[in-house]
Amino acid sequence: MSEGARSGALPLAGDRAASAAARRSGGTLAKARRAFLAYLFILPTIALLAVFMYYPAVSALYHSFFDWDGFTQATFVGLGNFAAMAVDDTMRAAAVNVLKLAAFAMIISVTVPLIVARLILSLPGARAQYAFRVLFVIPLVLPQVVIYLIWKSLYDPNFGLLNQLLMTLGVQSPPAWLGDPNIALYAVMGIGFPWVDGFALLIFTAGLQSISREIIDAAAIDGAGPVERFRRIELPLVIGQIKLILVLNMIWTIQNFTSIFILTQGGPGTSTMVPGMALYQASFQNDRMGYACAIGMAMFLVMLVLTYINLRYIRSESDFAPRGGATAPGAALAKA
Amino acid sequence: MTRQGRLGMSLCAAALVGLALLTFYPFIFMIITSLKSAKQYYANIWLPAWPLHLENYQQAWTAIAPYMLNSFVVTVASTIGVVVVSCLAAFAFARMSFPGREILYYLVIFLLMVPAVLTLVPTFLLIKNVGLMNTLWALILPYIAAGQVLSIFIMRAFFASLPEELFEAARIDGASEWWVFLNIAVPLVRPVLVTIAILQVLSSWNDYVWPFLVLQSDSVQTLVVGLVNFQGRFYTDYGPLMAGYALASIPLLILFFVAMRSFIEGLSQGALKA
Repeated sequence: MSEGARSGALPLAGDRAASAAARRSGGTLAKARRAFLAYLFILPTIALLAVFMYYPAVSALYHSFFDWDGFTQATFVGLGNFAAMAVDDTMRAAAVNVLKLAAFAMIISVTVPLIVARLILSLPGARAQYAFRVLFVIPLVLPQVVIYLIWKSLYDPNFGLLNQLLMTLGVQSPPAWLGDPNIALYAVMGIGFPWVDGFALLIFTAGLQSISREIIDAAAIDGAGPVERFRRIELPLVIGQIKLILVLNMIWTIQNFTSIFILTQGGPGTSTMVPGMALYQASFQNDRMGYACAIGMAMFLVMLVLTYINLRYIRSESDFAPRGGATAPGAALAKA
Repeated sequence: MTRQGRLGMSLCAAALVGLALLTFYPFIFMIITSLKSAKQYYANIWLPAWPLHLENYQQAWTAIAPYMLNSFVVTVASTIGVVVVSCLAAFAFARMSFPGREILYYLVIFLLMVPAVLTLVPTFLLIKNVGLMNTLWALILPYIAAGQVLSIFIMRAFFASLPEELFEAARIDGASEWWVFLNIAVPLVRPVLVTIAILQVLSSWNDYVWPFLVLQSDSVQTLVVGLVNFQGRFYTDYGPLMAGYALASIPLLILFFVAMRSFIEGLSQGALKA
């Protein structure tokens, strides 16, 4: 295969450099030795991925077609797990709740940080701007679990700060917050109020700062006020950053269930159930490992479709590409 | 400056201070409460009370210190692991030629789309079957495996952007590929390595569900799992509880203030590629 054809099919940036190096090195023996060294370089990666990523992923795919408790012989049930999911009330509640949570997260994660970024950049002096940026980024490095636990105690129906405040204000019977099935989900959304997400803030500040001075000055000369300028010039120019934050938040919200796990375990009833929590309960509380694998597959497929839509129609390139899981640094940070 | 401009500026500053106060109020509440006895807490929930009960911190420290050591070991080991493993692989994918390079690279970055919940159950059974339950390896190895994916993706781009002449010159002088990697390539990508390391520290330190599952004996548990247990045990004894939360936040805060500039710049960089 010619070099052109190959990089045409699979455009890797380092391709040409590496092929040049290969051509130059000449001898077959030298080439083989280099290739051997390269394999040594990637060996740890491949070994770890094979054992801890590909084997579990394939196992999940395989077992999603089985009735399996994780210990005894699995029985093949075809699409039975997926059919069961479609009529499972818990899963339906989980799907509805995760849609609400994702919609809320997407709205709030763009609006609040963008407004705060705009406010920060209106301050005179780089020092003050930097100080406020640092201040709002600090919550990113506090353990998320600590944040959830503090909010859990703020929401405590009897001794929590929130209800103490309401009772001082004369409210006779304040709500039970996380304990009330009608408002528990909204109480979960309320966590982190006023929702100044440090990661999104950094992304938007950098985006706004990269807008060239001339454009802003030209607008000022044409008589555009601050609101006009924000709406007509800055907003369209940070649309790439907005898409990035939207996608990261959506993907993160779909799979995260640490907050639910710590705050409500999906309850009361199924009022705060989310797919990740349902997967956890199916596997580790009800020993339905096959069903849990099917839930995982369904979540994977939903995210695959969303990723496809994003790449095909929305596309925002970034180093902080969405990756599944609690271990996704960018995504995890986007929502600390 | 016009009077209107100055007024606008003051309003901006006031709004920001207000938002900052609301954002930090839970943490201020945490610190105030961490210094109170139960009686003081119920007497007045809002204001600090004297005498300060510093022994709450003593009590909390005794409870969480062993967990903190476990978290420390896991975080350091997995961060070093991710940096080393992904540096090697990213360099090979960016600057070495070998059969199967493209397909292997795509196999790596495909995993960016596989959510952690999908592999949760099988990975748990794997760890259990190979006898790694209740060992810190049960965290370290999967963290390196998962954490390296994004790192390789980011670093391959950085390695590929280095000019080939740098490497050419060294090779003509007879330097080995290994020498070139260690002495030319790695030092040039150091800033991005720092960002990657910080992100890995945060995710290893903060992970909850996975350690909760695979570390069931108390002596190996990590800090955040320990905190949740601690909360279960002390439930409404808010003083020591909040002291524990405050102590748990300190290590990452220290790291943040040490590496603040690279942290903020590293994260902001993601924006300009957007």
